[in-house]
Amino acid sequence: MKVFQPQKRYRLHPGYIAWILHRVTGVLLGLYLFLHIWVIHYLAQGEQAFNKVMGIVQSPLFLVLEVGLLGTVVYHGINGLRVILVDYGNMAKREIFRKAVYVTFALSAAIIIAGGIPMLMHAFSH
Amino acid sequence: MKYFGSGRSGAFDWFFQRVSGIVLLVTLFLHFYVMHFAIEGPITYEKVMVRLSSPGWKALDIVFLIFAVYHAVNGFKLIIDDYVHSTVLRAVTIGLLWVMGIAFLTIGIMTIVNLRVQS
Repeated sequence: MKVFQPQKRYRLHPGYIAWILHRVTGVLLGLYLFLHIWVIHYLAQGEQAFNKVMGIVQSPLFLVLEVGLLGTVVYHGINGLRVILVDYGNMAKREIFRKAVYVTFALSAAIIIAGGIPMLMHAFSH
Repeated sequence: MKYFGSGRSGAFDWFFQRVSGIVLLVTLFLHFYVMHFAIEGPITYEKVMVRLSSPGWKALDIVFLIFAVYHAVNGFKLIIDDYVHSTVLRAVTIGLLWVMGIAFLTIGIMTIVNLRVQS
């Protein structure tokens, strides 16, 4: 297969950063999904096995890590919606594109902070 | 063998990544609400079984699982398409992806379906 090497490097403009973050969070979420299926499969191994593994993944360490999960899910979801609106809506328009990216970043950050603070308080209250 | 894996245009994959993405936004939000707000305190076997003993929740969870695994596998395939160009490496990575996807989908469905038998 003929592979065309890029002739130019893109500047790190907002849309490019959004794309990189989408890719990185996507890989993380894919790996998390497989891990999640594996952990939950203990449900079929009976009550003791399931409660034991759920005790581990609901320990303070994992409750802190869960804030990271919230962040990856929220960003990937909101940016995914933006991508759909680039394809089918008006967000590809020059005047709107960059603003839409900033809105995606701001909205993600707001939801992560709003959700992350109570999650951390809960994790450290144990 | 020269154009291994390139018999399809990928148009369906592109379109359905968007469709499954929207479905996942809805189902994932429901999943999040049920697991963290509808359930009080730590998640235990008993609390999960209350919901999962109903056929409706089982069906919904299986649909959710299929869409999630599809979206993840399709996403990984997109990344392989972008970065892996050698025919042999493509065969290995895409093959591995299929095996992983089917394996975890099977584990997931078995977990959801087998519940009543195991309890």
